Amino acid sequence: MKRLSTVEEYNDLRRIILDEAKEEKPCIVISAGTCGQASGANDIIRIAKRYILENGLHEKISLRITGCHGLCEVEPFIMVEPAKNLYPKIKMKDVPKIIEAVIKNKVIEDLLYKEVGHNGEKPCLSILDIPYFKNQTRTILSKNESVDPIRIYDYIRHDGYSGLVKILNNPTKYGFEWIIKEVKKSGLRGRGGAGFPTGNKWEIARASGNGAAQKFIVCNADEGDPGAYMDRSLLEGNPHSIIEGLIIGGIAIGATKGVIYVRCEYPLAIKHTVIALRQARELGLLGDNILGTGISFDIEIVRGAGAFVCGEETALIKSIEGRMGEPRQRPPFPTKKGIWGYPTCINNVETLANIPVIISIGAKEFAEVGVSGNTGTKIFSLVGKIRNTGLVEVPMGIPIKEITYDIGGGSIGKAKIKAVQTGGPSGGCIPASMFDLPIDYDSLSKAGSIMGSGGMIVMDENTCMVDIAKYYMNFLKDESCGKCYTCRKGTQRMYEILEDITNGKGTFEQLDLLEELAEVVKDTTMCGLGQTAPNPVLSTLKYFRDEFIEHIKYKRCPAGVCKELIGAPCQSACPLGTEAWAYIAHIKHGDYEAAYGVIRKANPFPSVCARVCTHPCEDRCRAGTGGGQSIAIRALKRFVTDHVDPAIYKPLKVVKTGRDAPKVAVIGAGPAGLSAAHYLSLRGYKVTIFESENKPGGMLISGIPPYRLPRDVLEKEIESIIDENVTLKCNTPLGKDFNIDDLFNKKGFKAVFLAMGAHISQKLNIENEDTEHVYTSMEFLKSFHLNDKNLARGRVGVIGGGNSAIDSARVALRQKDVESVTIFYRRTRQEMPAFEEEIDATIDEKIKIELLVSPVKIHTKNGSLSGVEFIKNRLGEVDASGRRRPVPIPKSEYIAALDTLIVAIGEQPSISDVSTFGLEFADGRKIKIEKETLETNKPGIFAGGDVVTGPNTVVDAIAHGKKAAVMIDRYLSDIDLYQPISPQLPQEYIEPVEVEEELGKETRVAQPTVPVDSRIQNFKEVEMCFSVEEATKEAGRCLRCDLEFTQLKQDKKDEKESLAAGGKE
Amino acid sequence: MISLKINGLNVSVEEGTTLLEAARFLGFPVPTLCHTDGLTPYGACRLCVVEIRQGSKSRLVTSCTYPAEEGLIVRTASERVVKARKIIIELLLASCPQSKTIQDLASAHNVRRQRFRQEYEDCILCGLCVRYCEEQMMAKAIGFRGRGENRSIGTPFDVPSDVCRLCGGCMYVCPACQLRCTYTEPEKAVCGGCANLSPPCIEKEKFDDMMCYMDPCVACEIKKD
Repeated sequence: MKRLSTVEEYNDLRRIILDEAKEEKPCIVISAGTCGQASGANDIIRIAKRYILENGLHEKISLRITGCHGLCEVEPFIMVEPAKNLYPKIKMKDVPKIIEAVIKNKVIEDLLYKEVGHNGEKPCLSILDIPYFKNQTRTILSKNESVDPIRIYDYIRHDGYSGLVKILNNPTKYGFEWIIKEVKKSGLRGRGGAGFPTGNKWEIARASGNGAAQKFIVCNADEGDPGAYMDRSLLEGNPHSIIEGLIIGGIAIGATKGVIYVRCEYPLAIKHTVIALRQARELGLLGDNILGTGISFDIEIVRGAGAFVCGEETALIKSIEGRMGEPRQRPPFPTKKGIWGYPTCINNVETLANIPVIISIGAKEFAEVGVSGNTGTKIFSLVGKIRNTGLVEVPMGIPIKEITYDIGGGSIGKAKIKAVQTGGPSGGCIPASMFDLPIDYDSLSKAGSIMGSGGMIVMDENTCMVDIAKYYMNFLKDESCGKCYTCRKGTQRMYEILEDITNGKGTFEQLDLLEELAEVVKDTTMCGLGQTAPNPVLSTLKYFRDEFIEHIKYKRCPAGVCKELIGAPCQSACPLGTEAWAYIAHIKHGDYEAAYGVIRKANPFPSVCARVCTHPCEDRCRAGTGGGQSIAIRALKRFVTDHVDPAIYKPLKVVKTGRDAPKVAVIGAGPAGLSAAHYLSLRGYKVTIFESENKPGGMLISGIPPYRLPRDVLEKEIESIIDENVTLKCNTPLGKDFNIDDLFNKKGFKAVFLAMGAHISQKLNIENEDTEHVYTSMEFLKSFHLNDKNLARGRVGVIGGGNSAIDSARVALRQKDVESVTIFYRRTRQEMPAFEEEIDATIDEKIKIELLVSPVKIHTKNGSLSGVEFIKNRLGEVDASGRRRPVPIPKSEYIAALDTLIVAIGEQPSISDVSTFGLEFADGRKIKIEKETLETNKPGIFAGGDVVTGPNTVVDAIAHGKKAAVMIDRYLSDIDLYQPISPQLPQEYIEPVEVEEELGKETRVAQPTVPVDSRIQNFKEVEMCFSVEEATKEAGRCLRCDLEFTQLKQDKKDEKESLAAGGKE
Repeated sequence: MISLKINGLNVSVEEGTTLLEAARFLGFPVPTLCHTDGLTPYGACRLCVVEIRQGSKSRLVTSCTYPAEEGLIVRTASERVVKARKIIIELLLASCPQSKTIQDLASAHNVRRQRFRQEYEDCILCGLCVRYCEEQMMAKAIGFRGRGENRSIGTPFDVPSDVCRLCGGCMYVCPACQLRCTYTEPEKAVCGGCANLSPPCIEKEKFDDMMCYMDPCVACEIKKD
């Protein structure tokens, strides 16, 4: 490279470069920032280069290696120019295929990026069609795509150094006053986090120490926030823009020396910057007498050792000077007294990357992006529990939800997004309810967080906020420099308190102390690190205090993260506390009777739950949350219950002596009522169950179809519960033959448990809903299940997306006069509340599901149903439930011809029978109870199951019944109902079996089902049982989380025993 | 001269005077642990915080490091200051309960309990010894190492220092360890720090975690004589 000595020479060079660029061969672009290289971009580059050279294709195609483009989720990828096709997550073997296709001007559709939409996947031809890119404003990041970071000509071709040359070309017009004025006018604020106006800083630095022998301008690339990497990717992808920004800044403040302070953990950034500096120097854009203008400016790289605190400007200065990175009191500010005492101006990488843009396009145009007071774009690194991880550049002031949902694509799985942490460890959490908050410096700090460098960590329901606070405090207690006593000890003490809380040892006094301490640390520390260190604690306390209370009061971690509270996740996730790990271990040992004992001890309905349980245990199973597939716990339970005779289990009975056993009434013979009766009977009480229908079972019999829960299985299990202490009275509805007062006054009952369930179907409230052949789902299911009546005929429509809609549809399909069944749901499949496997089974059975439609009107012909008018929806904004709201599309109405309509849009508790007894209700529809004791406001009356929760799961109802028995026993024995809560941790040690195969490699064994053709004509059970081999194999996949709690104790015991044995010898 | 207002009183001080000096000049007591006349202000213990008003906002700053500014309004014992000081003393008490200086401080500020996990440390990392060694003895024998929780004071790589002149000044200035060192015979006190060595430090290894950087120990040397 020839050193250019005048601006004219530079312009000539630029012209030559631009002329060269006019050749029109396609180009494949490979993103190879650190993120790309970590995902294997180097291999892709190697293959691509070799293929092009070996086949002599370099005349037809060009190759460009660039820095990170932003969508790190799909690395390694190839982008093809000029069509901008994006081939994500490519394998090495795909590379030749792509190159050949590009040469032939073709697109390989299978490999293209696909947008996951409401109706399956849709390939995106250009990156501009991808929502992730489409919704961004990529002023700075877009350069990363078009520039090879180690080729200065590439940068010049894309208008690089044009800002600098503009200034050098006319130094009188564009002097330092003009630059400072222009930057001030642009409204650019420091992107490092504090948001100090850059123009003002430069003005102060210019004015300060006029005549000083030396001034410095520093680029702060000590990016230390966990989860933030936009500075790295700018330095890696476009180092010349930072150099240009620094030179312009140097001219503005009158500095002759620039420093890039970059952490040693960024080797690629350092490498690219070193190369860029060398090239700029060789070309005469840096060094003495730049382009012959008499201006001298040079840049030096200083490598930091990686202390987080060195990002703080005064600590950074000390580190540059070679001393210990430790902040000092400001004033004096670095702009007055910085490196070696000389005025020093420190700017963030991203701030400097914006400078060339401002100079070349003008401040006015720059300020048009963003909002007043917060102009321009900001790059965020979007990480955590989000579908599209990567760097996102958006105008300042857009709401958080646009970033998380429109660009980020929402959460990964079914778990809802709960909060976003902005600003890294110094920032705070913003809850999902505040996602309308515009992202700018002021709104964020008002909400208790900070902009910070732009890290944005998304958290969902599986993230424990106490644990998050603890994580950050752990980071800060290590990264605090330790100078200020309150920062060093304060962070350590806050960590200790949070540790106590996550271990279940926390108290409410400690919570107050934590808050008090956090305020003092914020107040009394010297630098930004200490002053913001309590933010994670304060913001989580502000928005998620209930999670802290759960940990302290109930010793529960709702997200299932805190180990000491969770024990084995399967056990803690089960409302009944079933030790799933224990019976899985017994299955592996082949001891099925012991396994049955474990299940039956916790659950009086093992066979029922083995078929219809919602298995919260599987959702929390570590084999699944760790990225693999969870253990098929329910199928294993089914295996045990099918292989063991229930008679082997003899429940432990307590006989009340010394007095007549008190009488207890249970209203409703559903899972809650029956369980309560069972456990009360074991405690020696005389129980009478009053049931309004003709058969016991509640929702189990009236709601759940026989192909999911065969009636003989159900009846057997109910029969075993009705023992000598239990009397069952069917066809005896409350409010008709008797009322609650009678039970106490006339019949001598001492306590009542209300468990009537939720059997009232909600209505659509649209025209003609009372027409013949329009049924509610409960009406439809009950007539079939209890009275064997087939109500469905012809073309059947089911409205709703929950389990009762699916059940109604599948029952209708099996009825004899039915032609076709269609489910109509107003949102998309992703939002359907029904269980995933039930929806799959429905689709297997060829039931049509029409999504994004809402009913408007019911059409009739001769007084009977002829069809339903629907309107199509699109998904709008996210509502309070965290799901996207359906928005009707005007004029999209259509009529679906139907002969039967089943409305399944939810059930409500049946409380009209008890409305006159002075009971309190919650939300007007549910019986209000004390959460911990199940007591209603009337003494002696307890309530549980769906009547207090609304439609809920079987296992929750059983848990309520079980708890009610304990509470009623305590009530009748005059013992305080409140009991101290302690976490349920695995106790019993079951020896693990050696497994040969590597854990985690084996995939989940699928539960066998009856083939579709032979099942849709009848009501026989669909799911079948595991074979012995299948069950043993599946049980062998269990990670045995319990051993963490029992192994150590067992080892100690073994040691003691062997010592004792040794002593005898 | 710069004029400012401290607790409602106007005072004029020379440029470069710290708020601590100005407050003490007026007779307002401001507690400190890491400050001693003759050593550069450092701002480590945070006990000397005062509230200053800037525009409509106020904030806490350490008076020992903050230079007096024209028209500044300062309060040395506002509610916010007192609350912060009490927590700081509580933190000190939780870490170094055996220090007489800290006990006196707690008593003077009516701090009667500490609610954190009890520790028994000998050092609050105020850095007085480091500054004493560097500024008064021109020795730089000891310095800070590590950061955060792992910050400590000592000689480089824990090797006995060549430049240490065994002056004992580090112990003399230490606010935390004064009472810890009680020599076998207290009357025969030699230096400020080791004045009261107890138990006698015959075997140096036993006292490695104590804040004694002298090798050999002056007190032990005397004992041998």
